[in-house]
Amino acid sequence: MTPPPPLLEVHALTKRFGAQAALADVSLTIAAGEVHALAGENGAGKSTLMAILSGALVPDAGTIRWEGRPVLLPDVRAAQALGVSAVHQEPQLVASLGVAENIALGRLPHRAGPLRLVDAGAMRAAARAALDRLGVAVPLEAPIGEIGVAQRQLVAIARALHFGARLIILDEPTSSLSLSEVEALLASLRALRQRGTALVYISHRLEELRAIADRVTVLRDGRVVATAPMAGMSNEALIQAMSGRELAADLRAGPPPAGTEPRLRVRDLARKGRLHAITLEVREGEVVGLAGLMGSGRSRALRTIFGADGRDAGTVEVRGPDGWRGVHDVAGGIAAGLGLVPEDRRGLGLVFTATVADNIGLRTPKGGHRWGLLRRGVLRAVAEAAVEILHIKTRGIDAAVRTLSGGNQQKVVLGRWLGDTRVLLLDEPTRGVDVSAKAEIHRHLRALAASGMALLVASSEIPELLALCDRILVMREGRLAGELTRAEATPAAILALATGAAAARAS
Amino acid sequence: MSRSPWWQRLAPLLGLFLLCLVLSLASPHFLTVDNLLNVLRQSAINAILALGQLVVIITAGIDLSIGSVVGLTIVVLTLLMRHGVPVLLAAAVALALGTAIGLINGLLLTRLRLPHPFISTLGTLNVARGAALLLAGGVPISGLPPGFREVVAGSLLGVPMPVVIAALAYLVLHVFLSRTVYGRDLYAIGGNREAARLCGIPVDRRLNLAYALSGASAGLAAIVLAARMNSGFPLAGTGAELDAIAAVIIGGASFFGGVGTVGGTLIGALIIGFLRNGLNLLDVSAFWQMIVIGVVIVVAVWIDVLRQRVGRTA
Repeated sequence: MTPPPPLLEVHALTKRFGAQAALADVSLTIAAGEVHALAGENGAGKSTLMAILSGALVPDAGTIRWEGRPVLLPDVRAAQALGVSAVHQEPQLVASLGVAENIALGRLPHRAGPLRLVDAGAMRAAARAALDRLGVAVPLEAPIGEIGVAQRQLVAIARALHFGARLIILDEPTSSLSLSEVEALLASLRALRQRGTALVYISHRLEELRAIADRVTVLRDGRVVATAPMAGMSNEALIQAMSGRELAADLRAGPPPAGTEPRLRVRDLARKGRLHAITLEVREGEVVGLAGLMGSGRSRALRTIFGADGRDAGTVEVRGPDGWRGVHDVAGGIAAGLGLVPEDRRGLGLVFTATVADNIGLRTPKGGHRWGLLRRGVLRAVAEAAVEILHIKTRGIDAAVRTLSGGNQQKVVLGRWLGDTRVLLLDEPTRGVDVSAKAEIHRHLRALAASGMALLVASSEIPELLALCDRILVMREGRLAGELTRAEATPAAILALATGAAAARAS
Repeated sequence: MSRSPWWQRLAPLLGLFLLCLVLSLASPHFLTVDNLLNVLRQSAINAILALGQLVVIITAGIDLSIGSVVGLTIVVLTLLMRHGVPVLLAAAVALALGTAIGLINGLLLTRLRLPHPFISTLGTLNVARGAALLLAGGVPISGLPPGFREVVAGSLLGVPMPVVIAALAYLVLHVFLSRTVYGRDLYAIGGNREAARLCGIPVDRRLNLAYALSGASAGLAAIVLAARMNSGFPLAGTGAELDAIAAVIIGGASFFGGVGTVGGTLIGALIIGFLRNGLNLLDVSAFWQMIVIGVVIVVAVWIDVLRQRVGRTA
């Protein structure tokens, strides 16, 4: 008696884009009820593999077997019919329709007859059944636009279940979820696994892979470099497999010497319902972290300090060569020496239709224009310098910024603020950036601090803050819940402040 | 601001050359100095209007009102001249009026926060046309000073004056868009408004400027048109916004903003001009001309879509 064939088996899959092989000779098996992690840096081929398995791309060579039978996946519908569905990082849902409609969309139950009237009762029942399998309750009538990101992610997974998926591919499902939401999502996924649904789980976050995956396959440059049981691979081994390099050590230099001047002074900053009495200081050469759960007001605090979001009360001051200057709006903040690297580089950071040079020069640097006429020599020199200092990998400063990898795009946003910036605010500086680019960006940030810049870094990744910051401020519900020195800062201490556990214990 | 590979930038120019080649083979009357100058003269007004349209399309906007603004400014201009206001002063008032209506379009967006310029400029389209008809009493205004037509519709060193005026406008706008902070800001706003804002660019002021420029281009076009027609017809410019949009799009600008050049728009306006002229020479009826131009717009944008697809996978 032979064991049953695996649910999915791919063999020698190859896909080229022009001269470049996005996937080369990739083989992989996935058993029913298995959670299979797919790890690798950006550009390693994870997205291409996901696209092929979900029918969005057709491979150039290789075979795919489903329960032992060779199959072709010419399009997404064929893959769905077979039982493979993909859930993307940003779930593709219709914001104006309700939860039930979104789950059933594409397979709306309808009554017999030429009008194909929607059977609303059957639709709701099917949606509820799919959500039940995830063990979650989402109001069926709520418009998608009014529920949170975490619930949208669940709706997208429920839709895959409604389509009869037996293998669901999840691409960075937690990238914009808070810690508690991640836990809830992982619990739902475990429930699915118990009922025999197989999952391919793509994420940059190693802790998550460890928490959910049975096995892991690491891709690098389009090839499989390792497949192993998750428990059998240490984080160091994983990172080394992904990057081909050793893990970088703790980056923190010593705290800035006593007597250094404060560069940023924020007093009693408030916005009704959002921020309350934010008071903080960042000194020259210091990297201060801003921790907190999703929705705790980290981004709002940075944007309000920068002048991009309105405030009801409080002052923001930046110390320049000629003393303190108040900040009231974005232009004034930039003139005083503030810079912001926003959280969403595609939506907020970059002009995708423009070149690397134009994106760097967008915050017109000193001497970048005279009487409104651009001084292109100056702008080009500034861009060239940023590319060199930050090691931005690009064909040149005239390359379109959309042709760069995520990490290099992030460096372009950072490159805008080299030069005369005195205080740099960074929001999730390495989100969606691969492991080695992340380490590189961290090194650059420390180098900026070493040159005297003051940095305030908001991040949802506690390890990032621990590796980078001299001091960590923790936010909860729009307030500063506490401050941790480098010695005090541990994941547990940060979480205690972020969740209010510390306050509860103290009282 | 956005530099694409040379072969992509040259695609509209190549189209123009091919068109001229075909037309010169098809009709012996096409490739003559007189006819070419004639095409330039006829294209000048659309080319000027397309310039203003380009500026707003770069910001991911649109200005539907320019045809009506031409109608209103031409009526005001000709009324002023008929009542003895000096030609230069009347022309200055026409330019200022066009600019002012453009500024209103901008303020409707940036102050009243109307959701899309399609709506605000659809409103001013109707208001301006109605005002033009009211002011003119529904009839053309004639009896202009003879010198006006002679100068503005005449020629300079053998080149038709409308062509000279359009060429100057193109030169100024080219420098404005490619060499100044303002132009660079408009591309950035069209490419990503939030990113532009977070770089300290005064987005609202720049948008007001863009729509004011679009209105100014309509004022300039009205001056040239008044001279050519030697009268102020309140329905002048009806539908002109659509030809201007067509020229900008054929010229390679993106409706999603952030992309487009003065050179491309010039080629777009010329393609439309040569197409009309060639079809006239070949005795193709005006109805068929509309169909051909419609097809050209769709094909031009389709080629653009194909180019971008190639660019993305390469």
